[in-house]
Amino acid sequence: MVLRSMRTATIALLSVAGFTALPAVAQQAAAGTKVTQFMGLEGVKPKAGGTLTLDGGNLQFTSSKGKASVPLHSVEDVVTGNDSQRVFRGTFGTLTMFAPYGSGRFLSLFRAKLDTLTIQYRDSDGALHGAIFTMAVGKADPLKKEMLAQGAHTSIPVEEDAGGAKPDAAKEKKP
Amino acid sequence: MKRVLYVFAAAILLLGAQYKLTEVRAQSAAPPLAMKASAIQVVMIQSDEIKLPAEFQISLYENLIEQLKKQGGFQHVYRDGDHAADSEADLVVLHSTVRGFKKGSEMARNVTTVAGKTSIDIHCQFNDKAGKNVLEKDLNGKVRFFGGNLRATLDFAKKAAKLAHDNFVARPTT
Repeated sequence: MVLRSMRTATIALLSVAGFTALPAVAQQAAAGTKVTQFMGLEGVKPKAGGTLTLDGGNLQFTSSKGKASVPLHSVEDVVTGNDSQRVFRGTFGTLTMFAPYGSGRFLSLFRAKLDTLTIQYRDSDGALHGAIFTMAVGKADPLKKEMLAQGAHTSIPVEEDAGGAKPDAAKEKKP
Repeated sequence: MKRVLYVFAAAILLLGAQYKLTEVRAQSAAPPLAMKASAIQVVMIQSDEIKLPAEFQISLYENLIEQLKKQGGFQHVYRDGDHAADSEADLVVLHSTVRGFKKGSEMARNVTTVAGKTSIDIHCQFNDKAGKNVLEKDLNGKVRFFGGNLRATLDFAKKAAKLAHDNFVARPTT
């Protein structure tokens, strides 16, 4: 009797969780990924914050300052990576450099990790463009997979790329 | 006797000034044009020998185009593969190959001031439309103190744009 009621309760709980979780996932996909467009997109200022969405075979960047769309079939390469940036940056970050007793240097130790997504694409004239986006950790690889599924191309397969930074490869080769 | 000495000293001073003036003029005179071009095409940065992260490659390319436009002098700055460049009569094509790359650390730069330098060495080759080499030079980009690692690409782009401007943009005759 107890087992039966427990099983019923578990099923009820799972179904409630399922119903609440599904719209949340759908909402996340529809809402897109919050990114910073570091550089490269035509018509958008560098370091503009916005949302990256995949809609109708296009990669769309939307921000308050501008909008850009790139057809995914024209994307020749998608590469993910990782980097870090200062927690205290911008004007405040610069001012902290002049803080007394080396406290500015201490504050520069605080860094936030982030993912990078780099794309190469061609416009209708065949001209090659590149764009760099930064986003929260763990967001780049799912976005890349989704882009590849919708027609983008890559020179580095997802499994290899998921390894993140290749510090050994990045260093200069000694003769 | 005193007057002779004064005249002699004045003559030496004048000669010295003349020599210095000639030297300064020679230094400030613009280098001879390698070739006059009204348009330039930037080919994507190549890094066959050195493994360069994708964001550095794109940043080099985009900054180069941006700086060439900013520097002025060229009527058109074409990207890699742009079909519109085919119709240009006096086009110069810039090929850039990465010869060295050392990724530093922004944190190390901020904390120590002396360590963590990022530097990129790039061989720039300017070809005419027929593919003949008209100018080549090694340039580098670096970031020593402030800014992220990608700032080294901006440093390179400024130098390359200046090189192109000095050697291929027709100067107004005075």
